[in-house]
Amino acid sequence: MSIIKATNLEKYYPCPENSGKTFAAVNNINLSINTGEIFGLLGPNGAGKTSTLEMLEGLSTIDNGEVLIDDIDVKNDPYKVKKIIGVQLQSNEYFDRLNLSDLLILFANLYSVSIDPKALLAKVNLEDKLFALPDDLSGGQKQRFSIACALVNNPKILFLDEPTTGLDPQAKRNLWNLAKELNEEGMTILLTTHNMEEAEYLCDRIAIMDKGLIIAQDTPQQLILDFAPEPTASPKHGNIEDVFLALTGHGLRD
Amino acid sequence: MFSKPQIHLASIFIKIFYRDRQSLFFSLLFPIIFTFIFLFSGGEPNPTKLGLVNQSENELSLKFVELVKKEKSFLVKEDSESVLKAELIAADQTAIIIIPENFNEFPDPGTIRLLLDASQVRQVGAIRDSLEAVLLSIERDIRNIQPMFSLQLEDVKSRPQRYIDFLLPGILAYMLMNLCIAGSGFNIVEYRRRGILKRLFVTPIQPKDFIISIVLARMFIIMIQLSVILGLAIGLLKINIVGGLLPLYGVILFGAFIFLCVGFFLGSLAKTQESIRPLVLLFTFPQLILSGIFFPISYLPELIQPIANGLPLSVIASSMRNIANDGGTLFAINYNFLGIIFWVFFSFFIATKFFVWQKVAS
Repeated sequence: MSIIKATNLEKYYPCPENSGKTFAAVNNINLSINTGEIFGLLGPNGAGKTSTLEMLEGLSTIDNGEVLIDDIDVKNDPYKVKKIIGVQLQSNEYFDRLNLSDLLILFANLYSVSIDPKALLAKVNLEDKLFALPDDLSGGQKQRFSIACALVNNPKILFLDEPTTGLDPQAKRNLWNLAKELNEEGMTILLTTHNMEEAEYLCDRIAIMDKGLIIAQDTPQQLILDFAPEPTASPKHGNIEDVFLALTGHGLRD
Repeated sequence: MFSKPQIHLASIFIKIFYRDRQSLFFSLLFPIIFTFIFLFSGGEPNPTKLGLVNQSENELSLKFVELVKKEKSFLVKEDSESVLKAELIAADQTAIIIIPENFNEFPDPGTIRLLLDASQVRQVGAIRDSLEAVLLSIERDIRNIQPMFSLQLEDVKSRPQRYIDFLLPGILAYMLMNLCIAGSGFNIVEYRRRGILKRLFVTPIQPKDFIISIVLARMFIIMIQLSVILGLAIGLLKINIVGGLLPLYGVILFGAFIFLCVGFFLGSLAKTQESIRPLVLLFTFPQLILSGIFFPISYLPELIQPIANGLPLSVIASSMRNIANDGGTLFAINYNFLGIIFWVFFSFFIATKFFVWQKVAS
């Protein structure tokens, strides 16, 4: 059963080269994400991943199309949607002079719920950092803390926007395990990533975006079978990174 | 009246301010410096420094010197002409009076010379008037006549008022404006730039919740800051708030609300930290000149007065002065109160209508 359903979704922005014109950052896409799934949204920079995510989260206006999150229309009731989702943003900055405990209690109050900050930090292996400031955390700890912030309202759906960017392999693995654990507890996860290994390891299904369009959508295994180059000398049939490059090309993006 | 998220967010802003020791220190330092400046000057302009050279040294000239020294507006120093002239050139004296040798020779007692620093022309009139009054008094004494007319200045409100009594409400209103705009306008740009607002708005709070929270917190902080100044002013400068503190705090609350909302609006217009500064200056600087902080609005050209009277700082400063000096009440239906009501609604409208929490392209 779909918990996220996007139909003919479109988002336009002013064209940087021509101020009178607009361009479609998201161009008539359809998504259907099932309850309990880990769904990956892949694409090069500027493909429209974050624009799509922000429309699903109720953070930016939907120019065309419809989004239903747990049967709630995002366009009509974005605040109701925000109550049942958790969002981890790409960059996480917090108010100065507030420790992790203060911040978690603050976010919980914004949802009008009560939490035990220590228990929540224990869930992301940060229980000994209760009174630390976010600036004192390492990169991996910061990402885990931002996930803890997204969990204060015990959300049905967790949105992770490039959660492992800039992390070392250990921190990356640790975060993958956390995502798996949350998913095993029943949480639906929608993540965007540039990391193909991450998508392959974590996601039940993947959609690949480019230039505002979804150009492929299936399970990682099926995408590899369908799009990865035929094996040559190596017995390996390729991986999801091969799929990605085959679909979006090898050229550098900004 | 206020929701749980609004109250909690407000308490968080207060906590952040309380933990910022540097802000706390400077917010209390300024009121103390301000109070001591006025405490040492007595809230009045300093007396004019007057050098006095007595070349006569007779009974009449000594009486003249004695009367001049009694003038409270003068700080008299007697010395030789050369010494005092050097001090005049060094700007240590404002003027020098030279009493001639033949001061007691009638009917031609000589002419008293007044040496002046040309840059101090503003004070010539006051010095000359005082000296003429002293000379008239001596002349009457010598001729043994009584003055036919007398003039006594009386304040119809029967209250003594010093310059500091006029100045304090205006200074408080000006500080209120600056503290509020710094507390909302600058913060909003910084919070937006760092993505803190985006983090807040992934939760179910709405822009109005955020604005109400920060307004509540800032109002609380500003009330404490202004209370420190008022406490020092009342305790040390003997300022008398004729209309009572309660209506004065009422105006301060309205003022804080107006200026915080204007700060939000300016913070939404500005895309960067660099552009918020000129925007804030554009709003505050004309009001410093036009809103009757240091001199009454009636001194301005007639054409400008209606505009000046309608500015937010003018209505707040005038209301505070009306309460502090004239015993006015907050809700007396007058031009200023209507002005406050207008600015409360207008500022809240522009703050919420144009509020931008997302990072904008510069």
